Amino acid sequence: MEEQPQKQAADQPADSGGEGGEGGPSQVAGAQEARSEDRMTLLLRLRAQTKQQLLEYKSILDASEEKTPEQIIQEKQIEAKIEDLENEIEEAKIAFEIKQLAIDRIRLSSALKKNLEKISTESSVLMDNMKHLLKLNKLVMKSQQESWDLEEKLLDIRKKRLQLKQASESKLLEIQTEKNKQKIDLDGMENSERIKIIRQNLQMEIKITTVIQHVFQNLILGSKVNWAEDPALKETVLQLEKNVDMI
Amino acid sequence: MSVLRPLDKLPSLNTATILLVGIEDALLQQLADSMLKEDCASELKVHLAKSLPLPSSVNRPRIDLIVFVINLHSKYSLQNTEESLRHVDASFFLGKVCFLATGAGRESHCSIHRHTVVKLAHTYQSPLLYCDLEVEAFRATMAQRLVRMLQVCAGHVPGVSALNLLSLLRSSEGPSLEDM
Repeated sequence: MEEQPQKQAADQPADSGGEGGEGGPSQVAGAQEARSEDRMTLLLRLRAQTKQQLLEYKSILDASEEKTPEQIIQEKQIEAKIEDLENEIEEAKIAFEIKQLAIDRIRLSSALKKNLEKISTESSVLMDNMKHLLKLNKLVMKSQQESWDLEEKLLDIRKKRLQLKQASESKLLEIQTEKNKQKIDLDGMENSERIKIIRQNLQMEIKITTVIQHVFQNLILGSKVNWAEDPALKETVLQLEKNVDMI
Repeated sequence: MSVLRPLDKLPSLNTATILLVGIEDALLQQLADSMLKEDCASELKVHLAKSLPLPSSVNRPRIDLIVFVINLHSKYSLQNTEESLRHVDASFFLGKVCFLATGAGRESHCSIHRHTVVKLAHTYQSPLLYCDLEVEAFRATMAQRLVRMLQVCAGHVPGVSALNLLSLLRSSEGPSLEDM
Protein backbone atom coordinates (compact mmCIF):
# COMPACT_ATOMS: atom_id res chain seq x y z
CA MET A 1 0.00 0.00 0.00
CA GLU A 2 1.47 3.28 -1.02
CA GLU A 3 0.70 6.70 0.36
CA GLN A 4 0.55 9.92 -1.58
CA PRO A 5 3.94 11.33 -2.46
CA GLN A 6 4.90 14.70 -1.09
CA LYS A 7 6.61 17.33 -3.09
CA GLN A 8 8.65 20.27 -2.09
CA ALA A 9 10.66 22.50 -4.34
CA ALA A 10 13.58 23.65 -2.22
CA ASP A 11 15.69 25.37 -4.81
CA GLN A 12 18.28 27.37 -2.98
CA PRO A 13 19.41 30.47 -4.77
CA ALA A 14 23.13 30.23 -4.93
CA ASP A 15 23.76 33.91 -5.14
CA SER A 16 21.29 36.26 -3.55
CA GLY A 17 23.74 38.97 -2.73
CA GLY A 18 22.82 41.13 -5.63
CA GLU A 19 19.41 42.00 -4.32
CA GLY A 20 20.47 43.44 -1.01
CA GLY A 21 22.38 46.66 -1.14
CA GLU A 22 21.90 48.25 -4.55
CA GLY A 23 20.70 51.82 -4.91
CA GLY A 24 17.30 52.84 -6.34
CA PRO A 25 17.53 52.81 -10.12
CA SER A 26 19.99 50.05 -10.31
CA GLN A 27 17.94 47.80 -8.05
CA VAL A 28 15.86 46.40 -10.87
CA ALA A 29 18.93 45.77 -12.97
CA GLY A 30 20.62 44.21 -9.97
CA ALA A 31 17.68 41.85 -9.39
CA GLN A 32 17.70 40.81 -13.03
CA GLU A 33 21.41 40.19 -12.86
CA ALA A 34 21.00 38.07 -9.75
CA ARG A 35 18.30 36.04 -11.47
CA SER A 36 20.42 35.42 -14.51
CA GLU A 37 23.27 34.41 -12.24
CA ASP A 38 20.92 32.02 -10.48
CA ARG A 39 19.93 30.62 -13.83
CA MET A 40 23.56 30.24 -14.78
CA THR A 41 24.36 28.37 -11.57
CA LEU A 42 21.27 26.27 -12.01
CA LEU A 43 22.24 25.41 -15.55
CA LEU A 44 25.77 24.55 -14.53
CA ARG A 45 24.51 22.40 -11.72
CA LEU A 46 22.10 20.62 -14.02
CA ARG A 47 24.93 20.06 -16.45
CA ALA A 48 27.05 18.44 -13.74
CA GLN A 49 24.10 16.29 -12.70
CA THR A 50 23.35 15.12 -16.20
CA LYS A 51 27.01 14.32 -16.76
CA GLN A 52 27.14 12.21 -13.62
CA GLN A 53 23.95 10.39 -14.45
CA LEU A 54 25.15 9.71 -17.98
CA LEU A 55 28.36 8.31 -16.53
CA GLU A 56 26.38 6.00 -14.27
CA TYR A 57 24.25 4.69 -17.12
CA LYS A 58 27.31 4.14 -19.27
CA SER A 59 29.06 2.19 -16.54
CA ILE A 60 25.99 0.01 -16.04
CA LEU A 61 25.89 -0.67 -19.78
CA ASP A 62 29.55 -1.66 -19.72
CA ALA A 63 28.97 -3.89 -16.73
CA SER A 64 26.01 -5.65 -18.29
CA GLU A 65 27.98 -6.44 -21.42
CA GLU A 66 30.17 -8.77 -19.39
CA LYS A 67 29.28 -12.40 -19.72
CA THR A 68 27.69 -13.79 -16.61
CA PRO A 69 28.79 -17.33 -15.77
CA GLU A 70 26.08 -19.88 -16.38
CA GLN A 71 27.02 -22.56 -13.95
CA ILE A 72 25.97 -22.36 -10.34
CA ILE A 73 28.84 -21.22 -8.20
CA GLN A 74 29.06 -21.99 -4.50
CA GLU A 75 28.17 -19.24 -2.12
CA LYS A 76 31.63 -19.27 -0.55
CA GLN A 77 33.23 -18.78 -3.92
CA ILE A 78 30.89 -15.93 -4.69
CA GLU A 79 31.83 -14.26 -1.42
CA ALA A 80 35.51 -14.74 -2.18
CA LYS A 81 34.98 -13.25 -5.64
CA ILE A 82 33.15 -10.31 -4.16
CA GLU A 83 36.04 -9.67 -1.80
CA ASP A 84 38.52 -9.83 -4.66
CA LEU A 85 36.51 -7.37 -6.69
CA GLU A 86 36.21 -5.04 -3.73
CA ASN A 87 39.97 -5.16 -3.26
CA GLU A 88 40.36 -4.30 -6.92
CA ILE A 89 38.09 -1.31 -6.49
CA GLU A 90 40.08 -0.13 -3.47
CA GLU A 91 43.36 -0.52 -5.32
CA ALA A 92 42.02 1.40 -8.30
CA LYS A 93 40.89 4.18 -5.96
CA ILE A 94 44.26 4.33 -4.23
CA ALA A 95 46.10 4.42 -7.54
CA PHE A 96 43.86 7.25 -8.68
CA GLU A 97 44.49 9.21 -5.50
CA ILE A 98 48.23 8.75 -5.83
CA LYS A 99 48.18 9.91 -9.43
CA GLN A 100 46.09 12.91 -8.44
CA LEU A 101 48.62 13.72 -5.75
CA ALA A 102 51.48 13.42 -8.20
CA ILE A 103 49.73 15.72 -10.66
CA ASP A 104 49.10 18.29 -7.95
CA ARG A 105 52.74 18.18 -6.93
CA ILE A 106 53.85 18.69 -10.52
CA ARG A 107 51.50 21.64 -10.84
CA LEU A 108 52.79 23.13 -7.62
CA SER A 109 56.41 22.77 -8.63
CA SER A 110 55.79 24.30 -12.04
CA ALA A 111 53.98 27.27 -10.46
CA LEU A 112 56.89 27.69 -8.07
CA LYS A 113 59.33 27.63 -10.93
CA LYS A 114 57.40 30.29 -12.77
CA ASN A 115 57.24 32.61 -9.77
CA LEU A 116 60.72 32.00 -8.52
CA GLU A 117 62.33 34.96 -10.28
CA LYS A 118 59.69 37.29 -8.86
CA ILE A 119 60.32 36.23 -5.29
CA SER A 120 63.08 37.99 -3.36
CA THR A 121 65.18 35.53 -1.47
CA GLU A 122 65.33 37.62 1.70
CA SER A 123 61.84 38.02 2.94
CA SER A 124 58.76 36.28 1.69
CA VAL A 125 56.23 33.94 3.07
CA LEU A 126 57.51 31.19 0.82
CA MET A 127 61.05 31.40 2.14
CA ASP A 128 59.76 31.46 5.70
CA ASN A 129 57.75 28.36 5.02
CA MET A 130 60.71 26.61 3.49
CA LYS A 131 62.94 27.49 6.43
CA HIS A 132 60.31 26.29 8.85
CA LEU A 133 60.01 23.07 6.87
CA LEU A 134 63.75 22.52 7.02
CA LYS A 135 63.79 23.12 10.77
CA LEU A 136 60.98 20.67 11.31
CA ASN A 137 62.64 18.08 9.13
CA LYS A 138 65.86 18.39 11.16
CA LEU A 139 63.88 17.97 14.37
CA VAL A 140 62.12 14.94 12.99
CA MET A 141 65.37 13.34 11.98
CA LYS A 142 66.94 14.07 15.35
CA SER A 143 64.06 12.58 17.31
CA GLN A 144 64.02 9.57 15.02
CA GLN A 145 67.71 9.06 15.73
CA GLU A 146 67.11 9.40 19.47
CA SER A 147 64.28 6.92 19.44
CA TRP A 148 66.44 4.51 17.44
CA ASP A 149 69.22 4.79 20.04
CA LEU A 150 66.80 4.18 22.87
CA GLU A 151 65.48 1.13 21.13
CA GLU A 152 69.02 -0.18 20.73
CA LYS A 153 69.63 0.27 24.46
CA LEU A 154 66.39 -1.47 25.24
CA LEU A 155 67.39 -4.35 23.02
CA ASP A 156 70.78 -4.66 24.75
CA ILE A 157 69.20 -4.69 28.17
CA ARG A 158 66.76 -7.34 27.05
CA LYS A 159 69.60 -9.48 25.74
CA LYS A 160 71.44 -9.19 29.05
CA ARG A 161 68.30 -10.12 30.92
CA LEU A 162 67.89 -13.16 28.76
CA GLN A 163 71.47 -14.22 29.40
CA LEU A 164 71.07 -13.79 33.15
CA LYS A 165 67.93 -15.85 33.06
CA GLN A 166 69.67 -18.61 31.19
CA ALA A 167 72.60 -18.61 33.64
CA SER A 168 70.26 -18.81 36.63
CA GLU A 169 68.38 -21.62 34.94
CA SER A 170 71.54 -23.67 34.49
CA LYS A 171 72.59 -23.02 38.10
CA LEU A 172 69.24 -24.18 39.42
CA LEU A 173 69.52 -27.26 37.27
CA GLU A 174 72.89 -28.03 38.83
CA ILE A 175 71.50 -27.60 42.33
CA GLN A 176 68.68 -29.94 41.53
CA THR A 177 70.98 -32.65 40.19
CA GLU A 178 73.18 -32.35 43.26
CA LYS A 179 70.19 -32.73 45.56
CA ASN A 180 68.99 -35.75 43.63
CA LYS A 181 72.40 -37.33 43.92
CA GLN A 182 72.43 -36.73 47.65
CA LYS A 183 69.03 -38.29 48.05
CA ILE A 184 70.06 -41.35 46.08
CA ASP A 185 73.17 -41.73 48.20
CA LEU A 186 71.14 -41.46 51.36
CA ASP A 187 68.67 -44.05 50.19
CA GLY A 188 71.52 -46.31 49.24
CA MET A 189 73.07 -45.98 52.59
CA GLU A 190 69.87 -46.95 54.34
CA ASN A 191 69.91 -50.39 52.93
CA SER A 192 73.62 -51.11 53.44
CA GLU A 193 74.77 -54.01 55.55
CA ARG A 194 76.85 -52.05 58.01
CA ILE A 195 73.86 -50.12 59.25
CA LYS A 196 71.99 -53.32 59.89
CA ILE A 197 74.82 -54.74 62.00
CA ILE A 198 75.12 -51.49 63.92
CA ARG A 199 71.39 -51.46 64.53
CA GLN A 200 71.46 -55.02 65.86
CA ASN A 201 74.32 -54.17 68.22
CA LEU A 202 72.40 -51.17 69.43
CA GLN A 203 69.31 -53.24 70.16
CA MET A 204 71.42 -55.72 72.10
CA GLU A 205 73.01 -53.01 74.20
CA ILE A 206 69.60 -51.46 74.91
CA LYS A 207 68.28 -54.80 76.17
CA ILE A 208 71.30 -55.33 78.40
CA THR A 209 70.92 -51.85 79.86
CA THR A 210 67.21 -52.43 80.53
CA VAL A 211 67.94 -55.70 82.31
CA ILE A 212 70.63 -54.06 84.47
CA GLN A 213 68.27 -51.25 85.38
CA HIS A 214 65.55 -53.69 86.40
CA VAL A 215 68.05 -55.59 88.55
CA PHE A 216 69.05 -52.40 90.35
CA GLN A 217 65.43 -51.42 90.90
CA ASN A 218 64.50 -54.76 92.34
CA LEU A 219 67.57 -54.71 94.59
CA ILE A 220 66.54 -51.36 96.01
CA LEU A 221 62.90 -52.38 96.41
CA GLY A 222 63.88 -55.70 97.91
CA SER A 223 66.15 -54.15 100.53
CA LYS A 224 63.22 -52.23 101.95
CA VAL A 225 65.16 -48.99 102.08
CA ASN A 226 63.26 -45.73 102.09
CA TRP A 227 64.29 -44.77 98.57
CA ALA A 228 62.03 -41.73 98.42
CA GLU A 229 64.33 -39.74 100.69
CA ASP A 230 67.62 -40.25 98.85
CA PRO A 231 67.60 -38.49 95.46
CA ALA A 232 70.11 -40.90 93.85
CA LEU A 233 68.03 -43.98 94.85
CA LYS A 234 64.83 -42.19 93.76
CA GLU A 235 66.27 -41.55 90.37
CA THR A 236 67.32 -45.17 89.91
CA VAL A 237 63.86 -46.52 90.81
CA LEU A 238 61.96 -44.02 88.71
CA GLN A 239 64.04 -44.71 85.65
CA LEU A 240 61.46 -47.34 84.84
CA GLU A 241 59.41 -44.52 83.45
CA LYS A 242 62.04 -43.72 80.88
CA ASN A 243 61.71 -46.22 78.14
CA VAL A 244 65.23 -46.73 76.90
CA ASP A 245 64.03 -48.21 73.68
CA MET A 246 62.89 -44.86 72.52
CA ILE A 247 66.22 -43.40 71.61
CA MET B 1 5.55 -4.35 -12.04
CA SER B 2 6.35 -6.65 -9.25
CA VAL B 3 10.08 -6.01 -9.07
CA LEU B 4 11.67 -2.62 -8.53
CA ARG B 5 14.41 -1.89 -10.98
CA PRO B 6 16.74 1.03 -10.50
CA LEU B 7 17.19 2.18 -14.05
CA ASP B 8 14.05 1.39 -15.97
CA LYS B 9 13.01 5.04 -16.06
CA LEU B 10 14.89 8.13 -17.05
CA PRO B 11 15.70 10.53 -14.24
CA SER B 12 13.73 13.73 -14.05
CA LEU B 13 15.72 16.94 -14.03
CA ASN B 14 16.99 18.12 -10.66
CA THR B 15 14.79 15.66 -8.80
CA ALA B 16 15.79 12.98 -6.33
CA THR B 17 13.32 10.40 -5.04
CA ILE B 18 13.64 8.30 -1.92
CA LEU B 19 11.42 5.41 -0.91
CA LEU B 20 10.97 4.65 2.79
CA VAL B 21 9.67 1.16 3.53
CA GLY B 22 8.51 0.34 7.02
CA ILE B 23 5.46 -0.73 8.95
CA GLU B 24 5.19 2.25 11.28
CA ASP B 25 3.50 5.10 9.43
CA ALA B 26 4.01 7.71 12.13
CA LEU B 27 7.78 7.23 12.24
CA LEU B 28 8.08 7.28 8.46
CA GLN B 29 5.97 10.39 8.26
CA GLN B 30 8.12 12.16 10.83
CA LEU B 31 11.31 11.15 9.07
CA ALA B 32 9.89 12.33 5.76
CA ASP B 33 9.00 15.69 7.27
CA SER B 34 12.49 16.11 8.72
CA MET B 35 14.01 15.28 5.37
CA LEU B 36 11.87 17.78 3.53
CA LYS B 37 12.89 20.48 5.97
CA GLU B 38 16.54 19.98 5.03
CA ASP B 39 18.32 22.43 2.78
CA CYS B 40 18.89 20.78 -0.54
CA ALA B 41 19.72 22.22 -3.91
CA SER B 42 17.67 19.66 -5.78
CA GLU B 43 14.03 18.86 -5.51
CA LEU B 44 13.25 16.10 -3.04
CA LYS B 45 10.46 13.59 -3.34
CA VAL B 46 9.70 11.19 -0.53
CA HIS B 47 7.56 8.10 -1.04
CA LEU B 48 6.32 6.07 1.88
CA ALA B 49 5.31 2.44 1.67
CA LYS B 50 4.33 -0.23 4.13
CA SER B 51 5.73 -3.05 2.03
CA LEU B 52 6.72 -3.96 -1.48
CA PRO B 53 5.54 -4.71 -4.13
CA LEU B 54 4.24 -1.28 -4.93
CA PRO B 55 0.99 -1.06 -6.88
CA SER B 56 1.70 -0.42 -10.52
CA SER B 57 -1.27 1.83 -10.99
CA VAL B 58 0.50 4.93 -9.71
CA ASN B 59 2.81 6.81 -12.02
CA ARG B 60 5.96 7.41 -10.05
CA PRO B 61 9.39 8.71 -10.94
CA ARG B 62 12.60 6.73 -10.87
CA ILE B 63 13.47 5.74 -7.33
CA ASP B 64 17.03 6.62 -6.37
CA LEU B 65 17.34 5.26 -2.84
CA ILE B 66 15.34 2.71 -0.86
CA VAL B 67 15.55 2.81 2.92
CA PHE B 68 14.18 -0.16 4.81
CA VAL B 69 13.21 0.94 8.31
CA ILE B 70 13.43 -1.95 10.76
CA ASN B 71 12.03 -1.44 14.24
CA LEU B 72 14.09 -3.50 16.65
CA HIS B 73 11.09 -3.78 18.98
CA SER B 74 8.92 -5.86 16.66
CA LYS B 75 9.73 -9.06 14.85
CA TYR B 76 6.97 -8.33 12.35
CA SER B 77 8.98 -5.38 11.08
CA LEU B 78 11.91 -7.63 10.25
CA GLN B 79 9.62 -10.16 8.60
CA ASN B 80 7.98 -7.46 6.51
CA THR B 81 11.38 -6.17 5.41
CA GLU B 82 12.58 -9.61 4.40
CA GLU B 83 9.47 -10.20 2.33
CA SER B 84 9.76 -6.81 0.67
CA LEU B 85 13.41 -7.44 -0.17
CA ARG B 86 12.31 -10.15 -2.53
CA HIS B 87 10.65 -7.61 -4.77
CA VAL B 88 13.77 -5.53 -5.27
CA ASP B 89 15.97 -6.13 -8.26
CA ALA B 90 19.54 -7.22 -7.61
CA SER B 91 21.07 -4.19 -9.31
CA PHE B 92 19.48 -2.00 -6.68
CA PHE B 93 21.87 -3.31 -4.09
CA LEU B 94 24.83 -1.58 -5.69
CA GLY B 95 24.58 1.27 -3.25
CA LYS B 96 20.96 2.29 -3.66
CA VAL B 97 19.58 0.36 -0.71
CA CYS B 98 20.10 1.21 2.92
CA PHE B 99 18.89 -0.35 6.15
CA LEU B 100 17.85 1.80 9.08
CA ALA B 101 17.46 0.18 12.48
CA THR B 102 15.44 2.15 14.98
CA GLY B 103 14.64 1.58 18.60
CA ALA B 104 18.06 0.42 19.70
CA GLY B 105 18.02 2.96 22.51
CA ARG B 106 15.59 1.05 24.71
CA GLU B 107 17.46 -2.20 25.13
CA SER B 108 14.77 -3.84 27.24
CA HIS B 109 12.12 -3.54 24.52
CA CYS B 110 14.26 -4.97 21.75
CA SER B 111 13.05 -8.31 20.56
CA ILE B 112 15.39 -8.50 17.58
CA HIS B 113 19.03 -8.99 18.38
CA ARG B 114 21.41 -6.48 16.88
CA HIS B 115 23.36 -9.25 15.18
CA THR B 116 20.34 -10.26 13.12
CA VAL B 117 20.16 -6.92 11.36
CA VAL B 118 23.93 -6.81 11.04
CA LYS B 119 23.85 -10.16 9.31
CA LEU B 120 20.99 -9.04 7.09
CA ALA B 121 22.87 -5.93 6.01
CA HIS B 122 25.99 -7.99 5.44
CA THR B 123 24.13 -10.49 3.28
CA TYR B 124 22.77 -7.74 1.09
CA GLN B 125 26.08 -5.84 1.10
CA SER B 126 24.28 -2.64 2.07
CA PRO B 127 25.03 -0.09 4.76
CA LEU B 128 23.24 -0.30 8.07
CA LEU B 129 22.44 2.86 9.97
CA TYR B 130 21.21 3.11 13.53
CA CYS B 131 18.90 5.87 14.66
CA ASP B 132 16.27 6.36 17.32
CA LEU B 133 13.61 7.88 15.14
CA GLU B 134 11.53 8.93 18.09
CA VAL B 135 14.08 11.45 19.33
CA GLU B 136 13.88 14.74 17.45
CA ALA B 137 17.60 15.56 17.38
CA PHE B 138 18.67 12.12 16.13
CA ARG B 139 15.95 12.19 13.54
CA ALA B 140 17.14 15.53 12.18
CA THR B 141 20.73 14.28 11.94
CA MET B 142 19.64 11.10 10.23
CA ALA B 143 17.48 13.11 7.83
CA GLN B 144 20.52 15.19 6.90
CA ARG B 145 22.56 12.07 6.33
CA LEU B 146 19.85 10.49 4.21
CA VAL B 147 19.50 13.62 2.11
CA ARG B 148 23.22 13.57 1.34
CA MET B 149 23.10 9.87 0.50
CA LEU B 150 20.11 10.49 -1.72
CA GLN B 151 21.90 13.23 -3.59
CA VAL B 152 24.83 10.92 -4.25
CA CYS B 153 22.59 8.06 -5.35
CA ALA B 154 20.63 10.31 -7.71
CA GLY B 155 23.85 11.41 -9.37
CA HIS B 156 23.62 15.02 -8.23
CA VAL B 157 27.06 15.07 -6.70
CA PRO B 158 29.73 15.12 -9.40
CA GLY B 159 32.54 12.68 -8.90
CA VAL B 160 30.79 10.42 -6.38
CA SER B 161 28.58 7.55 -7.47
CA ALA B 162 26.38 5.28 -5.41
CA LEU B 163 28.85 2.43 -5.69
CA ASN B 164 31.68 4.70 -4.60
CA LEU B 165 29.71 5.72 -1.56
CA LEU B 166 28.94 2.10 -0.80
CA SER B 167 32.58 1.15 -0.68
CA LEU B 168 33.25 4.14 1.52
CA LEU B 169 30.50 3.20 3.94
CA ARG B 170 31.58 -0.39 4.18
CA SER B 171 32.24 -1.10 7.82
CA SER B 172 35.28 -3.12 8.70
CA GLU B 173 33.44 -5.48 11.01
CA GLY B 174 31.05 -8.01 9.62
CA PRO B 175 28.91 -10.22 11.85
CA SER B 176 31.19 -11.89 14.37
CA LEU B 177 32.31 -15.44 13.82
CA GLU B 178 30.22 -17.05 16.52
CA ASP B 179 27.02 -15.88 14.88
CA MET B 180 27.80 -17.03 11.37
